[in-house]
Order: sequence, then structure tokens, then C-alpha cells
Amino acid sequence: MAARDIRRGDAVRQIIAIALNTFRETVRDRVLTVIVLFALVMIVGGLWLGSISLEQQGRMMKDFGLVTVTAFGVIIAAFIAATLVRKEVEKRTVFVVFSKPVSRAAFVVGKFLGLAATLGVVIGGMGLFLFVMTWLVGGGASGMVLAATGLIYLQVLAVVAVVVFFSTVTSAILASMLGLGVFVAGQLSHNVLSLSRLGEGAVTEAVSWVVFVIIPNFNAVDVKAAVVGEMTIDWAAVALWGLYLMAYMVVALGAAAWVMRRKEF
Amino acid sequence: MSELEQRMSVDAAPHLLASLTDVTKSVHVGFRRRLVTILRGVDLELRPGEVFGLIGPNGAGKTTTVKVLLGLMRPTTGEVMLGLEGLQEVGYLPENPYFYDYLSGREFLSFCGRLFGLDVGERRSRTERLLRDVGLEEAAGVHLRKYSKGMLQRIGIAQALINDPQLVLLDEPMTGLDPVGRLEVKRIIQRLHGDGRTVLFNSHILADVEELCTRLGVMEAGRIVWTGAVEEALAESPEGLESFFMRVVGQWQPETSAGVTP
Repeated sequence: MAARDIRRGDAVRQIIAIALNTFRETVRDRVLTVIVLFALVMIVGGLWLGSISLEQQGRMMKDFGLVTVTAFGVIIAAFIAATLVRKEVEKRTVFVVFSKPVSRAAFVVGKFLGLAATLGVVIGGMGLFLFVMTWLVGGGASGMVLAATGLIYLQVLAVVAVVVFFSTVTSAILASMLGLGVFVAGQLSHNVLSLSRLGEGAVTEAVSWVVFVIIPNFNAVDVKAAVVGEMTIDWAAVALWGLYLMAYMVVALGAAAWVMRRKEF
Repeated sequence: MSELEQRMSVDAAPHLLASLTDVTKSVHVGFRRRLVTILRGVDLELRPGEVFGLIGPNGAGKTTTVKVLLGLMRPTTGEVMLGLEGLQEVGYLPENPYFYDYLSGREFLSFCGRLFGLDVGERRSRTERLLRDVGLEEAAGVHLRKYSKGMLQRIGIAQALINDPQLVLLDEPMTGLDPVGRLEVKRIIQRLHGDGRTVLFNSHILADVEELCTRLGVMEAGRIVWTGAVEEALAESPEGLESFFMRVVGQWQPETSAGVTP
């Protein structure tokens, strides 16, 4: 690409501009507000579940709350991420962006970072709310709730990256469904590998390895059960798998940028 | 050299701001991927300081011509040259523009300014000046989803000018505007012309073309079939541009059916 057309310094400023624009757009969307309010009501609902479980109110609060944060985080990520790029193409706002000296990669990265900021506010807010609620009911170890929320955020960002890629090659609704599918499969991929080792088929084991590599292993950075059960967590392993998820995001976004570069509008 | 670098080549003649040379564009459409040719050898030259009107019936390829010039579409064959600093010095208003629902007019212009790398001070002063120029000062803080079609058209023109471009491409800029809005847009185009900027605009409104353009091109079925000064066209058809247009389009017999804009 011509150096005078898209200067490197400008690319960073453009990414920031697109990210800020995406953040404003998504955070002001009323649908998001409704979903977040519903999620907060669900977290409060953990109080009721706790009240019917003997002496387990704090534990139930954490358990139900973290599952709620995960579920709503992934749903918001899958459905908003799918429209991030697709909506710009369908509503033709890309004409405005790409008629300016903006690279397709800057566009994809900016969109991702903008939604990442929105999700940071949303998931961070839900995590803080859960932290306060857990503290109020005396659940103990509530600081770990924030750590678990941070790792949920990481998983949700990986879902965003995957959905952004899918949205460049297919419809928004299919991209959302595929993203949710990848998330569910990612929770189970380590099981697939374990089960295949029990059998004797080399082909089955090879296929399981391929699935294990292609589908991000979300389970490896999921510490919900350990936090709720107050078990010891192998943070070194979690950090390693966290890096793997980040690399996965880079690959997914790189693929999305590659597809966008080849698109005509 | 990449395709875009070729597109942005400045090796072309210095008196040209932008040009298309024998450009064709074909696309596959539908489930059976039928090949449809939209542009069939377009030759177009834009010279500094002129207001060029591109007129033609629906589906003639006017919008595609502009998109190829901007790099939104790649030519199948032929050469595209965009001089100066490439897109950095080009402003573009798409046809029937749609912008970000939850941004205000001011935020949107500021966003466009950021994409061009304008610093904060420059961005603010240009944003306020353009809001004033297109008559949207009072609606500057309102979200774009609450704008009427005419207001969207005007904010679209403002974003096309945020970088103070040398070349302005306006695709149907008068569409959806009331008489006051049309007058404002005409004044903007005349002001740009007075400042020595080059303007290309597609339009169906021949009276506007006659009033504003120095040169015009008539497009039909993917080709520019006539190019010349507006005075030349009027000399050929003293009754006006409408009869000239009908005569040119009527005389020209396409080899095959007209292209479609995807």
C-alpha cells in the first residue's frame, strides 16, 4: 500500500478513531442497556437461589453470578460482533470509511477494539456488581470473583474475534450462531481429546487433535468452578492458555482483515 | 507493485487529477454466478479546477465508475489513476448516504476528520465551519438517526469536505433535498469551483448540470459515449441539455443489454 496514502502513524490514529466510534455506537445502543439490566436482575436472582440452599448463599451467589456474566457476555459479544462489520457493509457506511485513506486491517482492528472497550465496561460492571453482592452476603474470597470475571472477559474477546471473522464471510445471524457454536465447542474440546485417547482409532485421535487445535480451549481459562469451590488454581497454566487465546484472536482478526482486503463494495 | 500502488500512480500526465483508461468491470451475480459487465471500456479524465457532470440513465454505470476511481471496486481491465496524495485529497459523498445512528452530526464529522489524521484544533474548526456551511449548526448535537433525508445528505456533503479535498466526488448530491437544500449544495459546489477544486458529480437533474458544470460526460450501458464542454452540448442542441441527452443516448446503440449496478 502506498506509504503516502496510509502512513503508519495515521493507521494507529485511525484505529483509535474507529474504536472510539464503535464504542460510542455500541454503548449507546438501547438493546445493550436492556440486556445488561436483565443480566443484573439475574445476578440479584442469585440471592433467591441462595436463600433456598441451606448455608450456601455466598457460594450460590458466586456460582449463579459468574454463569450469568459468562452467558450474557458471550451473547452480547456474539450478536453485536456479528453486526459490527456486516452492518457497515449492508448500510453502506463502509463507503464513507473506505473512500478515505483507511486500511481494511485498521478498520477490522478498530472495530474489534471498540467492542472490546464496550464489553470491558459491560462485563467489568457486571463483575463489580457481583463482587459487591458476594461481599454483602458474606460469600468470602470475593476478590477471586474479579479474577474469574477477567478471564470471562478474555474468553468473550476470543468469541468477538471469531465472530468478526465469520461476519466477513457470511451473514450476521450465521456468524453469531457459529460464534456461539465455537464457544460451546471450546468448553468441550478438552473432553473430546480425552475421550479419543480412550479409544484405539488413530484417525479419531487425529481428528480430535485437529478439533482441539482449531477450536479455542475456553475451558482451560475457565476458573469459575475453582473460584466457587475455593480450590487452588494453577495460575501459570491459566496464563499460558490465556496467551494462546490472545494468539488465537490475532489469527482470527488477521484472517478477517485478509478477507476484507479482497472485498469490493 | 501492489494493485493499489498502481492505482495511486502519479506517473500520469501532470495536467490530470484523475483518469480512467479503457476500464471494464464485470461481476458475477446470482446463485449461478452469471457474469454481468457493468463498465465496458470507460475513458474519463478529470482536470484541475473543473466541475464535471456525469449523466446517464439508471444502470448506465455512473456509480460504479466513481467506485472504481475510489478503489471501492477493482477494475477488471484498464487503468485507474488518482493523482496528488491519493485518497488523502479526495472527498466522496455516496448515493443515498447512511451514517452511524448513534453519533451526533458533530461527532460524525470529527470522526471523519480523525480518519484523515487532522489534529484536534483543525478538526474542531473545520467541523464547526462545515456545520455552518451546510446549515446544520442547530442539529449538530442531535443523533444522526433523527436526521431527515435532506439533513443526512447535507451532513454527507460536510464529511466529504472535512479534509479540504482537491477532488470532490458527489454521487447524486441533490437527491432528497428540498429547494433550499439544493440551493445550499449548489452554492457549495460553486464555492469549491471558485476555490479551484475539481468536482465530479453524478446527477439526473440536467438543469443542475447545465447550471454548475464546465464539462460533462454522457454515460450509457457502461460507456461514456460523449464528453465535452457544456457549451458544446448546448451548441449542438440549443433547446437544452435534456434534448441533447436524449439525442446522444438515443443515437448510441449498445452492443448488448445495459449493465446493472450490484
